[in-house]
Amino acid sequence: MAIAQFVVNGLLVGALFAAVAVGFALIWGVVDIINLAHGEMVMLGGYTAYWLLSIATGTAEGSVLLFLATLPVVIAVLFVLGYVLQRTLVSRVIGTDIFLTLLVTFGISIAIQQLAIQAWTANPRSIQVGFADPSLIVAGVVIPKMKLVAFFGAIVLTAILYLFLQRTRTGRAIRAVSQNPEAAALVGIDVEHTRAVTFGISSAVAGGAGAFIATILNIEPQMGLIYTLKSFVIVVFGGVGSIPGALTGGLLLGVVEELTAGLISSRWTLAVSFTLLIVLLVVKPQGLFGTGADE
Amino acid sequence: MSTKDDTGLLRSVLPPERVDQLFDLCGTHSWKLILLSAVIGALPPVFGLREGYMMTVISEMFLFAILALSWDIVGGQTGYPSFGNMAFFGIGAYTGAILLKDFAVSFPLAVVTAGVFATVFAAIIGLIVLRLRGHYFAIATLGVLLAAQQISRNLEITGGASGKILFDVPPGIVFYYFFLGVLVAEIIVVYYLSNTRFGFILNAIRDDEGKATAMGFNTTYYKTAAWMLAALFTGLAGGAYGLFNTFIDPQTAYNGAWNVELIAMALMGGTGTVAGPVIGAFGLHTIIEYVETAFVGWQLVLLGLAVIVTVIGFPKGVVGSLREYANEMDYYERGGMAATDGAADGTDAATDANDPEVTTDE
Repeated sequence: MAIAQFVVNGLLVGALFAAVAVGFALIWGVVDIINLAHGEMVMLGGYTAYWLLSIATGTAEGSVLLFLATLPVVIAVLFVLGYVLQRTLVSRVIGTDIFLTLLVTFGISIAIQQLAIQAWTANPRSIQVGFADPSLIVAGVVIPKMKLVAFFGAIVLTAILYLFLQRTRTGRAIRAVSQNPEAAALVGIDVEHTRAVTFGISSAVAGGAGAFIATILNIEPQMGLIYTLKSFVIVVFGGVGSIPGALTGGLLLGVVEELTAGLISSRWTLAVSFTLLIVLLVVKPQGLFGTGADE
Repeated sequence: MSTKDDTGLLRSVLPPERVDQLFDLCGTHSWKLILLSAVIGALPPVFGLREGYMMTVISEMFLFAILALSWDIVGGQTGYPSFGNMAFFGIGAYTGAILLKDFAVSFPLAVVTAGVFATVFAAIIGLIVLRLRGHYFAIATLGVLLAAQQISRNLEITGGASGKILFDVPPGIVFYYFFLGVLVAEIIVVYYLSNTRFGFILNAIRDDEGKATAMGFNTTYYKTAAWMLAALFTGLAGGAYGLFNTFIDPQTAYNGAWNVELIAMALMGGTGTVAGPVIGAFGLHTIIEYVETAFVGWQLVLLGLAVIVTVIGFPKGVVGSLREYANEMDYYERGGMAATDGAADGTDAATDANDPEVTTDE
């Protein structure tokens, strides 16, 4: 029964990893940039929700509805931040050496992380969401209600992103730019604007996931790099540009981490994740779902 | 990046021809210059600087110059920008500390073993990650660094999260001359290699690995050799660092901030050059040290901003920008070909990005 519990825990957390990874994959596919500051967007999303709740209630506690009410603000804030970052900084290195694009986002990552430490200290924080009856028990497996809410929140975020890309005009523009920027420009798409919107959307989804992460795990200024690397593991596993692949990868990573934590020790989860990254890159760099980075 | 108009003053004081002559002069007398720098570096303790803050700061400058120059062997010369060089440093630091503390090995033997361990580690990891290119290589190396850090945190022999405290620390002057000695040795090796067949092949791999392979070079061999050379010097520095710092733990041995600093140093000085990373290390470490004392806690904010500004503003670094400035006159002398070099570089990089990211050796 313990195994079932670990698997359920893993799936619940894994959906959040997937939501973070989807945004990471989107930037990679459309702007052709590995955004090493992606994890910082998760962190900032978590802190935005935390401070909004703190302002509203005096402490970082509240009901589910109050917490969910902060989400639109979190998403808006992170969208603007992502848009501005792409427009002012990242756009300047697109098309140059890959090393420079990596380094500029690495620089952004450090600057944001360190500013966050200066502003909010390095202490871990979390949002306490109150429930009258905090857990469900289904067939002997304990499911905390907040984790369930976070799970569905992450799925909804991912689904909205998917529908947005498939159904809306902006979504089609984003896909066009990802396939061929020159041709997209020829048919009248503002490529720079579209890339910045992509960056904004990706950051917004990461921020939304970050807000949920703040309710079920801890947030701290230095958490970003870990989420960036987890996203990379997931995207490499699922294939660049495949949202179903990222979702599967996220859920699987969550399960692997929870099983490691449960069966070995929680100290080994990160070591296992990062080793998995290297193994995956060596064994299957094209991913299991996508057709590889050259698409 | 320097535009024609904003360098009017510079142009009158220091015209491009003069800079070009200066480069030529440095080229002809390079060995004498290296010797002279080594002697100047060795002088402060002779004139009484034997302990205290300044001594530590200068030793650290030498240390960082070693790390930045090692990074550049693979990142700058070979075109494989690693984001995990601190893994070699950490392996070296732990090897040194464990040998000194648990096996009571003498300091020189511990340091040499640390260098050897880091090199062997690099050979094994290199065979895996050097098959990857571009984004994949960069992230894989970052993964190696973080995996090594996490594993060191969890093992018994490394002292876990609390690390190892070392006693019987030799006087600071030992480390001063040790780091200086390793740095000078590394400068000599890298400079010597940059004018050999080995160095040219590394540069060929950077410029176009496909063509280098097509010319019959076993690029995997050269890449791994360069990677091991970088690990050797980084590991030697790491081996001594544990004792220099009197303690190591996973945070200091695999220092994430240093990991960025050493790349930033190579970048600011000028990647793919010998002098660049060394100049960058001295310059950036001075600035960071100053900010660290004057505005505690803000040094890493500054580092992040400095990286962004350098990447966007002058990605060729000090030496690279000067070289570009000096070569301006080539436009007239060689009939305009030199002027288009920059544009050609840009398109090369853009097409590289679309290449399949995994190299096929067979």
